[in-house]
Amino acid sequence: MLVEMKSIRKVFGEVVALNDVDFSIEKGGMHGLLGENGAGKTTLMNILYGYYQMDRGEIKFEGRPVKVLSPQDAIRLGIGMVHQLSTLVPEFTAVENIILGTEGRRLSFSIGGERAGILKLCEEIGLSFPLQVKARELPAGIKQKIEIIRALYRGAKLIILDEPTTFLVESEFDQLLKSVKRLIDQGITVIFITHKIREVLKACDTVTVLRKGKVEGKIDRPEMDRERLVKMMFIEKDIKITESALPRVQLPDCPRSESPVLSVQNLSVEAGEKGVGVNNVSFDLYGGEILGVASVSGNGVKELVGALIHPSRVKEGDIRVKGESIRGLSTLEVFARGVFFTPEERVQEGILIEGTIKENILLGHHGEKRFLRHNLFINWEEAGKAARKTIDEYGVHTPGEDFLIKRLSGGNIQKVIIGRAFVGQICLLVTHNPTVGLDVSSVEFIFRKLVEIRSHGDAVLWVNEDLDELMMLSDRIAVIHRGELKGIFQRDQFDKYQIGLAMIGA
Amino acid sequence: MALTPEAGSSARSWGARTLSRALPGLKVYGIALSLSFGVIAVISAVLGYSVPEVLRTLVFSSFRSFAGLKSTIKISIPLLFTTYAFFIPAKMRFYNCGAWGQMLFGGAMTAVVALLLADWNLPSVVLIPLLVITAILAGGAFALIAGYLKADYDINPIVSTIMLNYVAIQCVGFFCTARGFLDPTGGYPQTKLLPSSAALGFVGGIPYSFLLAALTVLVVSVLINRTRLGYEINAIGYNPVAAQSYGIDFRRTLMLTFFFGGALAGLGGGLEVMNIHNRLLVGFADISGLELGALGILATLVVGENPMAVPVSCFLMSVLLVGADRLQRTMQVPVELVFLLQAMIVLLIVITRAKLSAKR
Repeated sequence: MLVEMKSIRKVFGEVVALNDVDFSIEKGGMHGLLGENGAGKTTLMNILYGYYQMDRGEIKFEGRPVKVLSPQDAIRLGIGMVHQLSTLVPEFTAVENIILGTEGRRLSFSIGGERAGILKLCEEIGLSFPLQVKARELPAGIKQKIEIIRALYRGAKLIILDEPTTFLVESEFDQLLKSVKRLIDQGITVIFITHKIREVLKACDTVTVLRKGKVEGKIDRPEMDRERLVKMMFIEKDIKITESALPRVQLPDCPRSESPVLSVQNLSVEAGEKGVGVNNVSFDLYGGEILGVASVSGNGVKELVGALIHPSRVKEGDIRVKGESIRGLSTLEVFARGVFFTPEERVQEGILIEGTIKENILLGHHGEKRFLRHNLFINWEEAGKAARKTIDEYGVHTPGEDFLIKRLSGGNIQKVIIGRAFVGQICLLVTHNPTVGLDVSSVEFIFRKLVEIRSHGDAVLWVNEDLDELMMLSDRIAVIHRGELKGIFQRDQFDKYQIGLAMIGA
Repeated sequence: MALTPEAGSSARSWGARTLSRALPGLKVYGIALSLSFGVIAVISAVLGYSVPEVLRTLVFSSFRSFAGLKSTIKISIPLLFTTYAFFIPAKMRFYNCGAWGQMLFGGAMTAVVALLLADWNLPSVVLIPLLVITAILAGGAFALIAGYLKADYDINPIVSTIMLNYVAIQCVGFFCTARGFLDPTGGYPQTKLLPSSAALGFVGGIPYSFLLAALTVLVVSVLINRTRLGYEINAIGYNPVAAQSYGIDFRRTLMLTFFFGGALAGLGGGLEVMNIHNRLLVGFADISGLELGALGILATLVVGENPMAVPVSCFLMSVLLVGADRLQRTMQVPVELVFLLQAMIVLLIVITRAKLSAKR
């Protein structure tokens, strides 16, 4: 056994995060750690990596009992961890990031020498990335590779990947898998934390399933099947799962409105800080329709969504909502016309992190008459009512509307963000990656909500990086590459391969 | 999920809930104050002073005589204004370190207008409101420079406000010694007395500016907690990116906030000039050699989030300042000892608060 963790217990406040968890893996191969959000996967691995101290239990590494009091201890043992969010210094290049912390007490060293070593390592593993570009300019997939090399450079024999696919597109995931396979061939052991069953089925040699801080079981590759994993993950929940392990939600027949709700005409937008702008994009979106937008991150979709919400960013062309141009309007004026949105980055862009649920529900509606008195004062009673309504209708798990939003789980935060859109009357919801990082039951909830809007005769513009999700619930899928519209696929023409090709501009 | 126990139990009585909510806060102040006073006791003992005497003088000077209480209130009033001048922009996570300069500039402009209009012999009912408005506009405009530099050139307000303090102090020096303004008999850089109709006066030894200070507490609390602008200020403080994505005008809110903060500091300066000194003089915004802007930052750090707690914190700060003054005069204890105490109290409150909230 390479790692043996026995009777691990960890309590945060009054919440038992891990309850007598046993976890062990053999040397070599890829080992999955599967569970819903909040099942305790990351907590368990953070204990192994020395971020948290366990309350009880013991850890053996390579057969010897060890005490891991800090990540430094873990690194010394040969354990590396790649976190869900990049921990690279944005202003440093790949080389600088990789050697950071290995310089020890030396006063000077040659970066050139280190670089040669890193290049050799990259070649052995078959990873390549630009060494001289600052980390902040690199896409998520590349940053992950740098983090893996960084762990290897410190002599890791075991690498923990914490939900590495959250910010990756399918093709990037395949690339990552290829590199990981090379690592395994070199004798490195990999632990793969995920909540996606299909990824486990695709990649793992063994899988340990956690549920609510307890181990539900460990299965080897030959005995893995979807039904069994679903059962282990959600025993009491009745969720139907598709081939690609998505919750199954039907798209009922629904009449399309006569005239478009949203009409984008020859729209061009300047590029933001990174990526490209939008170049001469035109499309119509009708009521009773979900228009999926498929695109690789950094190809102008963020700018497109930005222009819909902040029309002052439009460089050329026009955006019409129900026939009327919104050029030159402020965000609140756009909202007043029945458009609302949920942003890509749930926490960074979507919520007032230090605020209460009530304050968050009010955001974007704070200019509406019913939440104001004499146009000057906030009507907090009304805001509280709206917040309580959202909490009840969406089943947000919280003691009340004055609770701090940052104490909610990701799924509950997303419910608040979606719920906020329905505080007023909407005719168009623009939503960007609404399901990223959510567990199956939360994803199912959001799917149902999108279908509900459509059944109501309203429109959804659904920007999403997960093609399987888009293909399940979109009426049409628009593909954008380098800021240009590469085509719109009708539902009966959906083909993962064709759409994928369009996404990479081929 | 970590739920705090007190938030979940709506069944308990209002009193019990309020108490359990206030308890962690009281614990912070309890720990910080006892530690700080402990250290002061040790230092005074080492320096050879009588410890009970030092502590008694420090804490009770303000309450032993009416004169003590009066001077405490007199210090609290300008401090209250500079505290809010820092407190309000701090709500949106911008730090106005220029309350001192805004107070100086507001005071200077008040004096300048009063002296220029001296020959008109305006009655108090006209002159006093005019001077109050002058002070408000001058302080607000002075802070607006920093707001504008941030909004359009992304210059950190900490830097710009500190630099502007030096501009303001030069302005005060200039106007104090300007021809026609300087009081040649004073032997100190100060202007002639303002016309007597500009004086606000006292009631029972308490300056009338007290009323404006009380009104300010009310206005700021309503602004922060009840108005749309207050919500927008808080929202930007909570998360500027999300606030802007959902339609809050960052530039407008930033400018308004700086104007509002600066206006309060300016008003405080104008009131000092009109009510306490009846003239402009160098150093009118200092107490025992400490500038009121910095003290306002300390007073804000002590209260944390609640605008209604600002007067309490300013009053307690002033109690210590009065005590310090008395210590120096009656026991020859160096006044620095009290500055040390103040700094320690603030640091310890901030540290204990962080520690306690990290545990939760």
